[in-house]
Amino acid sequence: MSPLPQTLLEAVASAAVREGLADAVFTRLSTPIGRLLVVQGPNGIVRVGFEEEPEDALLAGVAAALGPRVVASDREMADTRDAISAYLEGGDGPLDLPVDLGLVHAPFRRAVLETLHDTVRRGEVVTYGALASRSGRPKAHRAAASACARNPVPIVVPCHRVLPGSGGIGNYGGGAERKRVLLELEGAL
Amino acid sequence: MTATALPPFWSLVEAHGDELLAHARRVAGPEHAEDVLQDAFLRALRAYPRLRHADHLRAWLYRVTTTAAIDAHRGRPREQPVAEPPAVGVHDDVNPDGAFEALIAPLPETAREPLRLRFVEDLDYDHIAGRLGCSTQAARQRVSTAVRTLRERHAV
Repeated sequence: MSPLPQTLLEAVASAAVREGLADAVFTRLSTPIGRLLVVQGPNGIVRVGFEEEPEDALLAGVAAALGPRVVASDREMADTRDAISAYLEGGDGPLDLPVDLGLVHAPFRRAVLETLHDTVRRGEVVTYGALASRSGRPKAHRAAASACARNPVPIVVPCHRVLPGSGGIGNYGGGAERKRVLLELEGAL
Repeated sequence: MTATALPPFWSLVEAHGDELLAHARRVAGPEHAEDVLQDAFLRALRAYPRLRHADHLRAWLYRVTTTAAIDAHRGRPREQPVAEPPAVGVHDDVNPDGAFEALIAPLPETAREPLRLRFVEDLDYDHIAGRLGCSTQAARQRVSTAVRTLRERHAV
């Protein structure tokens, strides 16, 4: 049985996007920190997964939130792919991509991630406590840490730039080693 | 998420795409298979959110592909007549790879003949009625029943 040609899959996905039939579009991307799965919703990137995360469960979560018409297209995601690749391969610009926090339901967690995305630039770091303050609840450093731990769009919403006030690099959803690599890439370490 | 939630559409495409392409080759012929499957995937996407349950999705995709093949065959312009039209073998002329005959082969002759008259010879129902020796209404009925049988046959 011969495999489905990639051109056919791309044609289906492009037509689906053109006709407004796609609830979400995803792409798989090889990077220096491993394979990433990047999912785009109507308003921006909704999900970034590291290669250890089971793809089926990740996409099922997106389908449950945005709708089941999830399609793959490298072509429709070309600009996003280029931006992430350039960034992770050492380009010196900011990673400025639209984000959709539709998978984050708790209002404070969402506020924390919005604040992080909007205010902590490349090369900067912030403590969980400072991030909680900026998000309007100075004492909520644990909740801020929890928001970062459950960030559905790592790298794009830069939770790797948030460090414990007690020193050290702290935890990271993608593993502490990736956090260190990202911070070194940005010249923050 | 409930057990009956629809899976992400692309999971189905990646799980069953290769066998659906093989199915499209069988029912539409190799030269039309990819166009038919592309059309089938888009039809499936349009209908997908309206499905009431997530059972038998593979069988459903087979059925959508078969229907897309039948519609493509129906809508395809007939080939230009060659300088010397053959007196017989009109089936081979319209569909040189015999894919249509292969598609309908499992059906009884009482279903095959109306399908050939309608989709290969491209006759209207009055003419089909004349050839079958029945009323126009009955001809319409026999074609419709045969199409339904064909769809059920390929839904397995």
